[in-house]
Amino acid sequence: MHLRQLIQPDADWLDAPSPRRVARVALTACAGLAIYGFTVGFWRDPLMGGYVAVKLPLLIALTLGCNGLLNGLLGLLLGTGLGFRQSLLALLTSFALAALILGSLAPVTFFLAWNAPPPDSPGSKNAHAAYLVAHTALIGFAGITANLHLHRLLAVKAPTPAAATATLLAWLGGNGFLGAQFSWILRPFFGTPKLEVEFLRENPLDGNFYQTVWQAIDKTSGGHGLPALGVLLVFLLTPILHAIHKNHQTTPRP
Amino acid sequence: MIPQEIPNTAQPPPLEAPLPEKLDLKSLFEALLRRPHALVVRLAEPNHGATGRFAIMAVGSILLFGFVLGCFAKNEQLWAAPAKITAGLIFSGLICFPSLYIFATLAGARVSISQLAACLAGALALAGLLLLGFAPAVWIFAESTDSLGFMGSLAIGAWVIAVAFALRFLKSVIFATGGTQKAPLTIWSIVFLLVTLQMTTSLRPILGRSDVRLTQEKKFFLQHWGDTFGSSLKPQTAAKKPAPEPTAAPTPENPAGRNPYLEN
Repeated sequence: MHLRQLIQPDADWLDAPSPRRVARVALTACAGLAIYGFTVGFWRDPLMGGYVAVKLPLLIALTLGCNGLLNGLLGLLLGTGLGFRQSLLALLTSFALAALILGSLAPVTFFLAWNAPPPDSPGSKNAHAAYLVAHTALIGFAGITANLHLHRLLAVKAPTPAAATATLLAWLGGNGFLGAQFSWILRPFFGTPKLEVEFLRENPLDGNFYQTVWQAIDKTSGGHGLPALGVLLVFLLTPILHAIHKNHQTTPRP
Repeated sequence: MIPQEIPNTAQPPPLEAPLPEKLDLKSLFEALLRRPHALVVRLAEPNHGATGRFAIMAVGSILLFGFVLGCFAKNEQLWAAPAKITAGLIFSGLICFPSLYIFATLAGARVSISQLAACLAGALALAGLLLLGFAPAVWIFAESTDSLGFMGSLAIGAWVIAVAFALRFLKSVIFATGGTQKAPLTIWSIVFLLVTLQMTTSLRPILGRSDVRLTQEKKFFLQHWGDTFGSSLKPQTAAKKPAPEPTAAPTPENPAGRNPYLEN
């Protein structure tokens, strides 16, 4: 399998979800995420880089593993005509593309980590904040690109564009919802400078991503959490839905 | 000039293979997800034997989902929660079935009682399968949170999504058997959803803990949810303890001055 096949899939890419193809796409995703993950944790400590190189692929594996049945059911019920293995291949392809984008940027992010003020320096707080923003932007870009790519794949298989959109949104919702909680359980990724380097924080299952986000929004908005959350959701969802709507026109290379 | 005849190379759509003679669990599962219309037609024939298998599928998956919900409070809820939600769902299905038949007939469907019973069992099996799909995610949260409001919202959210697909299947049953009107099934769907939601209160506690296994106190489900939304499984004092600030000074309970909510 060439990388070009993954980035520019044929219209029949999902027709043959052989175990070999699924394994190769999964390996590509793991490799890309591991390389990128190493550069994410490297700034805090090389050992942290090693941990994140394991945890990023683990995050995807846990999310897709736990939601495998749900993704397959939704793929069938929402009318794309994709079976369980095809759904898995479609989602893995999307994650693999994100991993390829991030993996290809790994030399740049490694350079960023190499040149940032070290965690024990006086300017480490600002460096940590800038590091967070830079990586969030990169991950966001890779995620959006991968999902648009996934939508194109689905649009080729689905009988109607609406079915492809519904399936994409359902998968996005389900995997995003669980993936966020897994990212909470598997923290730390960036490594707060003052905290020790460890694979998982003490009692990783304690706490809940959504309650934490809610508390933060409520606190920063001075007790007006609900309207603030509404505005935030509108700002997040509008460009995503707009991009998906525009994407209905595009199909993969024949 | 003789116009050249262009050969018609378009392939006709592939014909669907008929459902197998014997409907085992696997073929029913496939048909439910991929070919609901063919399934409805097949269920109109006698001796399909699907009702029992759908019921097994529904009960098995709801029991498993109930066990996952029971993992939230643990102890006796590990068996009480699955038992309660399975009993509640069977009871809801039984008390709503007569109205389903009447409303389906009002919608114009020509469906026999046994066919409709098989279809309702199929719809509940579909809902159960979807709940099974949600189960791993629900378990992760059951192990991570103590908030009854959050877990309740999650469980109800999963149920509403699952039941939406089940009702969509019933809608296809009505239209595949000659039904022409949406309104009767829409009304029945609201009634069924309300009945199942009221079950969460009538059979309480399902998520939380209580000294009594089944309470006799009458309550409407919205009132019950409002009363318990802010509750936690932990004692009240522990639940209301504020999270330490990120730069908090070390304390005996928190020697490193760590705020787990701000770690990344």
